[in-house]
Amino acid sequence: MAGIFIFSEDSALAKQLLTPALELKASLAQPITAITLSESDAEELAKLGADKVVVLTGGTWAEGFAEAIYSQISKAEGSILLVGGTLRGKHVAAYVAAKLNAGMTTDAKALKIANGKLLATRVLYAGLAVCEEEVALPAVATIRARTFLAPAPAPAAGVVETQSAEADSRITISEVIPTGDKGVDITAATKLVAVGRGFRRKEDLKLAEDLAGVLKAELACTRGIAEDEHWLPIERYIGISGQTVKPELYVAAGLSGQVQHMVGCRESKVIVAINTDERAPIFEAADYGIVGDMYEVLPLLTAALRK
Amino acid sequence: MPKCLVCYKWTLDEQDIKIKPEDLSLDSSRAKGKISDFDRNAVEEAALIVEKEGGAVEVLSYGTAAVKLSLKDVLSRGAEKAHWIADPSAENADAAVTANVLAAAIRKLGPYDLILCGEGSSDLFNQQTAPRLAALLGLPCLSFVQKLTVEGSTVTATRKLEDCQETATVSGPVVISVLSEINKPRIPTLKQVLGAAKKPNEEIKIADLGLKPEDLQPKALRQSVKGFVMQRRNVVYKESSAAENVAKLTASLASEGLC
Ligand SMILES: Cc1cc2nc3c(=O)[nH]c(=O)nc-3n(C[C@H](O)[C@H](O)[C@H](O)COP(=O)(O)OP(=O)(O)OC[C@H]3O[C@@H](n4cnc5c(N)ncnc54)[C@H](O)[C@@H]3O)c2cc1C
Ligand SMILES: Nc1ncnc2c1ncn2[C@@H]1O[C@H](COP(=O)(O)O)[C@@H](O)[C@H]1O
Repeated sequence: MAGIFIFSEDSALAKQLLTPALELKASLAQPITAITLSESDAEELAKLGADKVVVLTGGTWAEGFAEAIYSQISKAEGSILLVGGTLRGKHVAAYVAAKLNAGMTTDAKALKIANGKLLATRVLYAGLAVCEEEVALPAVATIRARTFLAPAPAPAAGVVETQSAEADSRITISEVIPTGDKGVDITAATKLVAVGRGFRRKEDLKLAEDLAGVLKAELACTRGIAEDEHWLPIERYIGISGQTVKPELYVAAGLSGQVQHMVGCRESKVIVAINTDERAPIFEAADYGIVGDMYEVLPLLTAALRK
Repeated sequence: MPKCLVCYKWTLDEQDIKIKPEDLSLDSSRAKGKISDFDRNAVEEAALIVEKEGGAVEVLSYGTAAVKLSLKDVLSRGAEKAHWIADPSAENADAAVTANVLAAAIRKLGPYDLILCGEGSSDLFNQQTAPRLAALLGLPCLSFVQKLTVEGSTVTATRKLEDCQETATVSGPVVISVLSEINKPRIPTLKQVLGAAKKPNEEIKIADLGLKPEDLQPKALRQSVKGFVMQRRNVVYKESSAAENVAKLTASLASEGLC
């Protein structure tokens, strides 16, 4: 078995995957092959440490390349596949893992080789617990964006080759509608005001926007606000299935603080909670809290901070 | 008229799991079971499709002996028949073992037109089972679906991804994973709860699935599971005067250099 493989359809994430790949290369002494669907990513990946880059052509729908990616790895008898943990990436990774009859860690954090196996840190029960997962080789892991920084350029660039692949023709994509407010990256915000189901109407979010305005913060939310109510774009929801953020300040207003949400913000420096229910779990997770009606508290807080 | 199979997992309710302060181990002795959250959406979606298009909804679960506790609940939610596999191997099963077992059972029970899963299970949240099943069964897979329409043998799904909504069409048998926003699962009525007791359920023995020993050998093994504890100040202002609380909070934020 030889070869460390990486794949992500997301350019930035593909580069970040090279960092853990290079660490694994140091322990396993196996070359890194980056698989990509983008010609323009290929050069860059070769410069950043991929020994070889394979550009697969023949389609644009990443999931449709799962079989082709599997055959690249099985041909080379690859030992590790790291995939960028986007939803598309997770789909591809799980498909390939099944074809390889391999174990797979979802949202792996620290990765290393121990006793000839891949050891990765991950969460269980949506963040209630943390564990190490030991995966026999060949092993697959998905890694979320920004878990690692992209590496510095390597001394020598790897080789790039292009191969045509057969994409899954059983599925037809008829429409793609881009979503979200491009340009706002809430993971880069130093302060966030997060809203939850305690808000009764979309218009009421104004109270949180006003506070965010004086704090120079961005708005974030729970899954329900984005996915069920559609009051805010999904890029703004925090949690196990949403974004992970580490701001200096996280103000949680009218959200209960369930673990599935908190796992995405619990590394914030200071967490502030405003909730009517003194027993809401958010208070255990908060540095400072106010028990009270945010419809009353938020305008007062905004006014006090404006001074 | 689609024949649907919903794969559902019986998990512990994480809200009942406590972290022991001495060694950060998990105490699940008081945790009750539940149908994994998003699997309730998957059952509901299959029920809605069949109400409209005709067809049938069956459900399948692989678990330890505790899986039997799920049968009444799942059958009251619109499924006609439940298939279950109770085996100690489920305790440490990883996504590979789970998919091997479910795929073998589906080969035995099927074929089905639609195989539905949740986006991810509430305990492991591997988000792997649907694409793995598709790979093992040689079927196409539509993951992370927020809207589903079935017309004859044509399945149209809107998938919700980080940066777009994507509409995909496939003809014939397909594996689907659903997001929670796809529907609001029904709260079973008393009649449905009582009716569930009369619906058939059938055990499948793992030994009858023709699996090799290595198919049941987890490739990913969990080690050193530790509860996550946060070190927080936990200062809570709860005077009756909101203005007073706000004054105290702003003072605290100022002391942290945050305003
Ligand atoms: C597998 C899985 C994955 C999930 N992933 C995510 C995820 O990634 N992100 C996520 O956010 N959730 C996720 N969830 C959902 C999560 O479990 C919670 O249900 C959700 O976070 C709760 O949202 P909420 O706090 O907005 O609503 P609620 O839990 O309903 O809380 C509303 C809170 O508002 C308070 N409130 C009401 N009125 C007022 C008022 N006037 N003033 C002050 N407070 C008030 C209430 O006391 C309550 O505490 C997931 C769930 C599952 C099962
Ligand atoms: N043991 C199981 N029995 C039946 N279905 C399961 C089982 N484990 C997972 N699933 C299905 O696969 C989905 C995704 O699970 P997971 O891959 O563990 O996140 C779940 O929502 C279920 O629909």
